[in-house]
Amino acid sequence: MNSGPTINILPQKHRSRFFWLLVVVFLIALPSLIFYTTGYRLSFENEETTIVTTGGIYVTNDKLDVSVYIDEKEVDRPRLFRSAYYIQNIQVGQHRIVVQRPDLQTWVKVLPVDAYIVTEVAAFNMPAQPHVRPITRFTTATGTPIYRGMTASTSADLFTKATATVPFATASSSATTALVQNEEFIYAASLFSTTSTSSQSVFERILDQVDRFTFATSTEGATTTASTTELERVIRGDMELLVRDEELYATWLGSDRSIPYYFCVNDFNTSTTAQRYGEHVAEAIESGRTATTTRVFVDDNRTCRTEIKLDRLKKDVFYYNFFPNSSDLVLMQLTDGVYVTEIDDRAWQNVQLLYPGEDLQVVVENDVIYLKEGDYYYELVTEIEPI
Amino acid sequence: MSQDGKSHLLPYAQRSDFKVARANELTGRDRRFFRFLEIVPGVAAWSTIIGIILASMYAPFFAAYFIIAFSIYWVLKTIFLSYHVRYNWKRLKHHMELDWAQMITRFDYDDFYQLVIFPYYKEPKEVLEDAVRGLLEAHYDPKKLIVVFAAEERAGKEAEQLAQDLKSAYGETFGHFLVTVHPDDVVGEIAGKGSNVHWALQQVKQQVIDPDGIEHKNILTSVFDVDTVIYPHYFNCLMWFFFTVENPYKSCFQPVPLFTNNLWEASAVARVMAMSSTFWQMIMQERPEKAATFSSHSVSFQALYEIGYGQANVVSEDSRIFWNLFVANNGQFEVVSLSYPIAMDATTASSFWGTIKNIYRQHRRWTYGVENWCYLVYHFTKNKSIPLRQRWSVALLQAEGYWSLVTNPIMLFILGWAPIFLGTREFHETVLSYELPIMVRNLLIVAMLGLVVSSVISLSLTPPRPDGHSRFRYIVMAVQWIMVPVTMVVFSAIPGLDAQTRLMLGRYMGFWVTPKREK
Repeated sequence: MNSGPTINILPQKHRSRFFWLLVVVFLIALPSLIFYTTGYRLSFENEETTIVTTGGIYVTNDKLDVSVYIDEKEVDRPRLFRSAYYIQNIQVGQHRIVVQRPDLQTWVKVLPVDAYIVTEVAAFNMPAQPHVRPITRFTTATGTPIYRGMTASTSADLFTKATATVPFATASSSATTALVQNEEFIYAASLFSTTSTSSQSVFERILDQVDRFTFATSTEGATTTASTTELERVIRGDMELLVRDEELYATWLGSDRSIPYYFCVNDFNTSTTAQRYGEHVAEAIESGRTATTTRVFVDDNRTCRTEIKLDRLKKDVFYYNFFPNSSDLVLMQLTDGVYVTEIDDRAWQNVQLLYPGEDLQVVVENDVIYLKEGDYYYELVTEIEPI
Repeated sequence: MSQDGKSHLLPYAQRSDFKVARANELTGRDRRFFRFLEIVPGVAAWSTIIGIILASMYAPFFAAYFIIAFSIYWVLKTIFLSYHVRYNWKRLKHHMELDWAQMITRFDYDDFYQLVIFPYYKEPKEVLEDAVRGLLEAHYDPKKLIVVFAAEERAGKEAEQLAQDLKSAYGETFGHFLVTVHPDDVVGEIAGKGSNVHWALQQVKQQVIDPDGIEHKNILTSVFDVDTVIYPHYFNCLMWFFFTVENPYKSCFQPVPLFTNNLWEASAVARVMAMSSTFWQMIMQERPEKAATFSSHSVSFQALYEIGYGQANVVSEDSRIFWNLFVANNGQFEVVSLSYPIAMDATTASSFWGTIKNIYRQHRRWTYGVENWCYLVYHFTKNKSIPLRQRWSVALLQAEGYWSLVTNPIMLFILGWAPIFLGTREFHETVLSYELPIMVRNLLIVAMLGLVVSSVISLSLTPPRPDGHSRFRYIVMAVQWIMVPVTMVVFSAIPGLDAQTRLMLGRYMGFWVTPKREK
């Protein structure tokens, strides 16, 4: 006769053993994982097992499918964040970061990585070949931009410097009967008729303004210095772009606690900061301590400037504004073209050509970059599909 | 009840505060102490949650280390519990294959009766019929069954008539068939299952047990939710354990509730919650010293009689009856795992949102079982006959259970990311800040592997596919477990927090009847 349930309840002894086994696993895993997440790693170099401290690099980028290289070694694609790369296990020291894609300009920076700390950086990559969307006075009935009155030679002159992002048509006739007037063209033209873009550089215009206000001061008592700064003032959020002493600056207006990381360096020391971020950064901090036009503050272990000079490639600036949807990038029209520069000047500022040319006018309005070249109007396109 | 009327009760059960349900039923220092106990669980839960938020803001490094430690603990806990589930699953499958009728032939149980009480409210006719069908199909002499359908007066004559119709049809088949009607608005009671059963037990004693002279020791009482359909050998299995345990009259017998009656009709969320509840009970089957009775269960009538049939003034009556017995018997009462199933309904409704609402309310009622912690700690300070170590052990174990039920899912799936969003600038610059979400995510993935075990076991416990249901549903049933992180928060942690907060604020809950299958 079968007299038992045959399988007894899980014996207390087994449960206890299993429980204590898991306790041991916990006690081993906890310090191991805490050390790991803090930045400690086991190193097996030189046939010796040692514990080393590491840091990390966090690269953000608004372009998909870019490749990121640290010290010429490509890193894996991000999993946690789509457009950001977190690179672990970086040994302490200077590291070269490269972000690139075949159809985009390459972004490069050399930055220091400290133990337990993640060095943050925002890369940007403008198209290698300029891309524009034509804005014509008329469009076809289906909305296609059309260039009228074109001859064989004038047609050949179209889009020699850039790629059109939408199809366009040309017509030898100037007739408009079958065409539709393009409201956007009227809007773009109005932008250029009301903005201050001209053949004068920003610095020349400011000098003109100073002269005018100096004249006015003698009669009306206006404050010239303040007025000249106001004339070229561009603000986005807590960041301001301004011209002073024939240089272009980005100035932080917000609270000290929320200042962007690139305004600050850890454990400031003139020589080490110069080594780590470049002499210009060390000098900027040193001079900022005594300057009246800007300030430097210390927050815990970091020293922060509130002003960064932008690299204008030693050329005249004809127009500047924040790059659309960004307060970390600046669009500049220089002598020979339209450029984008980053405010982050650690190591250097990457400056990328967006559109070449001298006979240009550019306006950023509603986060769209409008370009006028001769009689032609375009939108400068910075987002392109990967090849 | 007069002192004479209490003479049959165990000494401790004769205390006036033995069946205390709320602080306001006591006076003076006892009242203040009980009220303090009601506040403790809610304060503990909220303190934990708020504490982690504050730590994330002001001590993010500490919060991050704590979250890593907690995530490791969770992985190991998942492994530990999966070990129990897997073991109980083997035991359950084996017990379902045994011929229990043959196994109990060596015992003399001719004088024993199975008293089966089905409290119900407004459940449809087919639910009651299914319950009777389960009894009819049981491999047990129906003449040894005392079947009681316990109706509620507040449900109306129509509800009572359903049981009367069943009595007309099957009354002669069973040894006894009784329909009781629990009166409405009895002073001192909470309308609900507990008070209904309390009434039914008194009625069956008056109308059947006493007139027929059946010895209390020869009656095993099974209180079943009305959607309970027993498996054929349930009573045989129960008898086997009753005759083989060390103290049969000091034991509750707990089957494994499988919420599978309507599993094929239930939505994925309802299935996950139903099976999760089953798994929890399977875990408890393997560590009965940590368990209390849950839902449908069995116990000797003698034990119930000695404590005055339990309480009619609580929400979580299914567990409270065990704590009544535990306290009254000076800690000498235990839960015996049958590892044999009973089938019940998964909580559903006619609409998706109705199902969500019903599951939430059902789990809030279940988690309101935290009121039992107040009860047992209160009596642990009164009944010094219970060994001190046992009192501390049980109190802390139960406290940890109610605390972790509410806080763990929230800590794991929501607050685990708090330092990243709330931490200081100094924290955000560190490797720790960047590694934390990666580490927590990886640990959760490891923990989620335990769900594979859940998926396999749940499929093995699923009833055969009825006609009209696609085979594709099996795939859905396998992958539905990925919802667990959400269901744990929405249907365990939040209703638990809701229940504990209500108790903390003195906004006591009433009994909410879980709707059974739609009419």
